[in-house]
Amino acid sequence: MIQSRRNFLRALPAITAGAALAPAPAIASAPGEDGGKHRWAMVVDVQKCIGCQACTVSCIMENAVPENSFRTIVSTYEVHQGGHSGTYMLPRLCNHCDQPPCIPVCPVGATFQRKDGVVVVDGDRCVGCAYCVQACPYDARFINHETGKADKCTFCAQRVDAGLLPACVETCVGGARIFGDLNDPNSKIRHLVDQNKMKVLKPEMGTQPHVFYLGLDERFQGRVDGAGTLWQPSGHGA
Amino acid sequence: MNYENFRRIEERAFYALVGIFGLIVLVGAGAWHYMEEHGHIVTGMSNQIVWGLPHVFAIFLIVAASGVLNVASIGSVFGKTVYKARAPLSGLLALAMLGGGLAVLMLDLGRSDRLIVAMTHFNPTSIFAWNIVLYSGFFSIVAVYLWTMMERRMNVYSKYAGFAAFIWRLILTTGTGSIFGFLVARQAYDSALLAPMFIVMSFSYGLAVFIVVQSVMFRWNGMKLDPAVLRRMKNLLAVFVSAVLYFTLVYHMTNLYFAKQTDFERFILLDGGIYTSMFWLGQIAVGSVIPLAILFHPQLSMRCNAVFPAAMMIIFGGFCQLYVFIIGGQAFPLNLFPGMEATSSFFDGRMPHPYTPSLPELLLGLGGIGITALIATIAVRVLQFLPQDDFSHLAKAENITD
Repeated sequence: MIQSRRNFLRALPAITAGAALAPAPAIASAPGEDGGKHRWAMVVDVQKCIGCQACTVSCIMENAVPENSFRTIVSTYEVHQGGHSGTYMLPRLCNHCDQPPCIPVCPVGATFQRKDGVVVVDGDRCVGCAYCVQACPYDARFINHETGKADKCTFCAQRVDAGLLPACVETCVGGARIFGDLNDPNSKIRHLVDQNKMKVLKPEMGTQPHVFYLGLDERFQGRVDGAGTLWQPSGHGA
Repeated sequence: MNYENFRRIEERAFYALVGIFGLIVLVGAGAWHYMEEHGHIVTGMSNQIVWGLPHVFAIFLIVAASGVLNVASIGSVFGKTVYKARAPLSGLLALAMLGGGLAVLMLDLGRSDRLIVAMTHFNPTSIFAWNIVLYSGFFSIVAVYLWTMMERRMNVYSKYAGFAAFIWRLILTTGTGSIFGFLVARQAYDSALLAPMFIVMSFSYGLAVFIVVQSVMFRWNGMKLDPAVLRRMKNLLAVFVSAVLYFTLVYHMTNLYFAKQTDFERFILLDGGIYTSMFWLGQIAVGSVIPLAILFHPQLSMRCNAVFPAAMMIIFGGFCQLYVFIIGGQAFPLNLFPGMEATSSFFDGRMPHPYTPSLPELLLGLGGIGITALIATIAVRVLQFLPQDDFSHLAKAENITD
């Protein structure tokens, strides 16, 4: 009894936040650390994102992210290419990669991947050397200047473990962020990934991101680009 | 000047130096305390530039610590008599500089209070973790090396200890270069060339530091440096500086060959503002070309008071090189959308990421130099570290080799 009351009190902030927002697609009850039963992932439908930054704010509120630091953002890009200009909105966060480059570089093994795919930082072990910040190709990590430790999106692991959705997903006005279990054949995210051509950021890095983008302009997808300086293919019999 | 007068002046100089360096260390400690209390937000560092000015000091000291041992290695491993007399000072400086560099590196961590965690948890896949082993090993091996040199009974083992130290320091600098070389995500760093480049940089920085320290110590102790020794050292220094220039050229040419790197190269070489200025003026002009002109000049190069400023310029150029490499490398934003000119409402579209070093960062870095100088000054006074040249032997060696 005492134990269950304590658990209830611990989960109270998350439950309150969850109840205050619109009903969301259900995820498996009490998933937690589950021995690889789940593989959490996120789909971002770029066409539904209106750039309102509600996700940014809810993330800050949920995770007490300090000033001028962000676990997730919606960058509004003004892009110029070939005399044309356009504005694009792109929600960004940790990609919870299958091959995360931030894990092998950590000297003390503070960064690790849970069996459900979520990449997290052990706050009791991190020494704040920032090597993982340098190693992340997505600029998704930072040193929290209040704790002196590496910080990043955790898919709101504390909420997911309590059977709730990440704060950014729950608060998204346009429903642009879809979170779920890729291992569940009946989940919405599984259907979306199976039925659509998903894109990821910087696929050439080989990190196998688990934040997928739906409707992302081809030109936004990572590719090798630029002009050769020393050797011009056109001048070589092309 | 009689001996008593000289001794009195020398003693005063010693206490004055200890006082000055001690004060620098205290100020550095105060700067660390300030940053520890308030977090890195009070520094110029940001979420994008997480390694700032203290890292430039720390990496310089660590790289130069490895290189300064070169003088001892040339004596012990390659049997050059002139350098053998300098081996103890070389070993001492290696330990002192590594101590200063590691102190800055450790105190600049987000959680510098967790030193024990860093020492007791080891992730074998991290080159950073391997470097902790390499640094600790370097301390031990060089300490043993010094012991074999300074304890008469152990002299017979000196060559073996010197050889072990030589191999270890090559591995250590390979490790330091690889900290950056393994960072595939960053355009400035992702290069296998960095490991050998750091080794060559260590040769150059280390010998320049040794020449400066040797000149100061000799002057402090009223000793005279043999011109033959100076000639050998300045020739060697010129070769090392040329080698660094060569590696710098290859590094940038290689980047220019890769299409995806051209933006970054344009940033460093043409459009990077402070970083471009520091590269061309600091590293290339003041840090390489002018010292080379002095060192290769037939008359100038044989004056002790010309080699000293040349070595100082090389040290300055080394700082500029590491500043451009470490901070310039982070100031260039991660290229999320190649081939597009993008500006964003957040940090990710800013070009370059802003960074202005703060006073506490500078003072912490100087504190590391203070630690190095304090260790070296006390050790030289207490133990027999200064080179004792046998001039007749030198003349003989000169006739044989030149």
